[in-house]
Amino acid sequence: MNAKFTLLALALILSACASGRLQERDEFATDDQRELILRATGANPRDAGLVIFGVDRSRQQAEQGGAGGGVSVNAFLWRATLETLSFMPLASADPAGGVIITDWYAPPNAENERFKAQAYVLSRQLRSDGVRVQVFRQVLRGGQWVDAPASAGTNSELEDRVLARARELRGLVAAR
Amino acid sequence: MRKILLGTTAVVAAGMLSAVATPAVAQTAPTVRIGGSMAAYWGYTLQTGRNISVAPTSTTGLPTNAIGQATNLERSTAAFGAAPNNTTGQGSSAAFMGTTDFVVLPAINFLVDAKLANGLAYGAAIQLNMNSMEGRNIVQRRASAPRTTVSIDEAWIYLRHPTFGEIRFGDEDGAIGLMNSGWITGFGTGGVFGAWEQFATRAAQNRTTTTPAGIGDNSKIVYLSPQYFGFDFGASFSPNLGEGGSSGCPNDVASGYCDRSTAFRGASGAGITAAGGFLGARRNEFQLTARYRGNFAGVGVQATVGYLGSGAARDILNSGATIATMRGLDAWMFGAQASYMGVTVGAAYTTGAFNWFWGNLRRGDRNGQQITAGITYTMGPLTVGGNIVSGLFEGASRMGGVDGATGVTAPVAAGTSGAAMQRRWGWGVGMNYTLAPGLDLIAEYAYHSIREPFVQQAAGSAVSATGALQSQIGGRNQSQVLLVGTRLAF
Repeated sequence: MNAKFTLLALALILSACASGRLQERDEFATDDQRELILRATGANPRDAGLVIFGVDRSRQQAEQGGAGGGVSVNAFLWRATLETLSFMPLASADPAGGVIITDWYAPPNAENERFKAQAYVLSRQLRSDGVRVQVFRQVLRGGQWVDAPASAGTNSELEDRVLARARELRGLVAAR
Repeated sequence: MRKILLGTTAVVAAGMLSAVATPAVAQTAPTVRIGGSMAAYWGYTLQTGRNISVAPTSTTGLPTNAIGQATNLERSTAAFGAAPNNTTGQGSSAAFMGTTDFVVLPAINFLVDAKLANGLAYGAAIQLNMNSMEGRNIVQRRASAPRTTVSIDEAWIYLRHPTFGEIRFGDEDGAIGLMNSGWITGFGTGGVFGAWEQFATRAAQNRTTTTPAGIGDNSKIVYLSPQYFGFDFGASFSPNLGEGGSSGCPNDVASGYCDRSTAFRGASGAGITAAGGFLGARRNEFQLTARYRGNFAGVGVQATVGYLGSGAARDILNSGATIATMRGLDAWMFGAQASYMGVTVGAAYTTGAFNWFWGNLRRGDRNGQQITAGITYTMGPLTVGGNIVSGLFEGASRMGGVDGATGVTAPVAAGTSGAAMQRRWGWGVGMNYTLAPGLDLIAEYAYHSIREPFVQQAAGSAVSATGALQSQIGGRNQSQVLLVGTRLAF
């Protein structure tokens, strides 16, 4: 009996001194056949099925993702890529194909070199391998722009920033 | 960053977000969502007790333990005449069973979700199953329910607040069922805890396992706390085994079927629930759980401590006096599991005053214990896994019948039925191949056996057909099921 009271006391103490995190339905075990299958096969129990009353927010988010219609790649990755590369002038962006190409950009503190980036959003899912960024660098030699290698790690660093921002965006939507 | 994004399991997410305060939320109008699931399996079944050539005299198995008293829990005496499967006109049967069969398991879900501007989320979940009728008993030729009759498996309302946690009220699993750890069932249909039970008959109860979800969906109120630094807590209470509406009484006579019965004739024999789980001695069931989920260097860790307690209904003597013959549930469950790189391993141990299928023990019976362990490995669309379970339970009570006049009860003699413990042992292996989100293919094998010395096992077995008692080592009841099929959820 003492152990049971200890359990209760621990619960009360923790709940009294801390702000907890709200848990979703899929964080609990279930014997619901539908839920079990959806979890086992990678489907999202929160947006499966048919909404017969009310607004299907999950479908809205999936279709629009806050980026508007016509986006055929993952909307979070797409928006995150656009935002991450927004410090450079944009040359073209194809939301259907997931390709973003910037124009040449010379940083203010290094006017003898310039950069251009191409980003490919590859996946409809929010995956860590769903985006690829390629940075090109040129330096000014004798009045001519000539190709030069970008520093190692630039590509993956930009990809990581895109992924971080995509996760933030997803978190914002999930919290709505 | 890649690790974080790849760590999409609940365990990792829970650890990662444990210290994040819930932001302000916008009001959400109610949405009603219809979903469902469908599973279809082919099964090859080998089991003892499937050939019954000698008609047994009892068919219902309802408890009649109070000596000489069966009026409260009557056996069926409907005369079948020349109806199939009945040789004596008293509901007894004789049959030889084959090995292969198809099983179809459809279900429909209704989900209601909404959120108020102050962050309070509310809604409901209703699950309709079409497989709760195990067989079709044709008492009246045109007035019997088909096996595909729709019934409610779970139905509950929830209120969820970012600060105070969640309350579920309705027919739902308890805190242990919702927060357990170490029960590895994420492969096939659940291995030894999976759909093999749909194929095996109930010969000598060699089909039912003792799982967290098996504690029951009896109407209850459940509290689930928010998560604090990786910890969360749960508690649930249910006054009895009743589900759904009304009083549970099948007629105007007060009986053990009635939800509010605190004592009933035959309660001494109703430790293991009968009548689909509605009839049993368990009363005032409560569950407490504490769970931890965290992430250490990419390894997702989850552990749970749970307690299951209850009271028990009393039996009634001829004089009308009540007598306490049953023990309440008093069991602890400890479970832990870890996940890394697609591999999940876990184990759970349960010990205390409980019988198999969470039955109440008689006073004088011995405590039970059970251990389970399992492993799964997921590689792309393929998941393989296996699990085992081994339990030592009282099984048949070692206490004799209760004298209806005096209330006297005594342990059975050594070497007779009930004098020994029951061993329940099983294992399963299985695999899933995900074809699409919500759709997979399954192949699985499960073995389960029970053995209890001196207890007459399945009718039709070599020993019991002659009426002789089982020897010390003989009469193991076992079943093996190989199943192949597919599941779809939407």
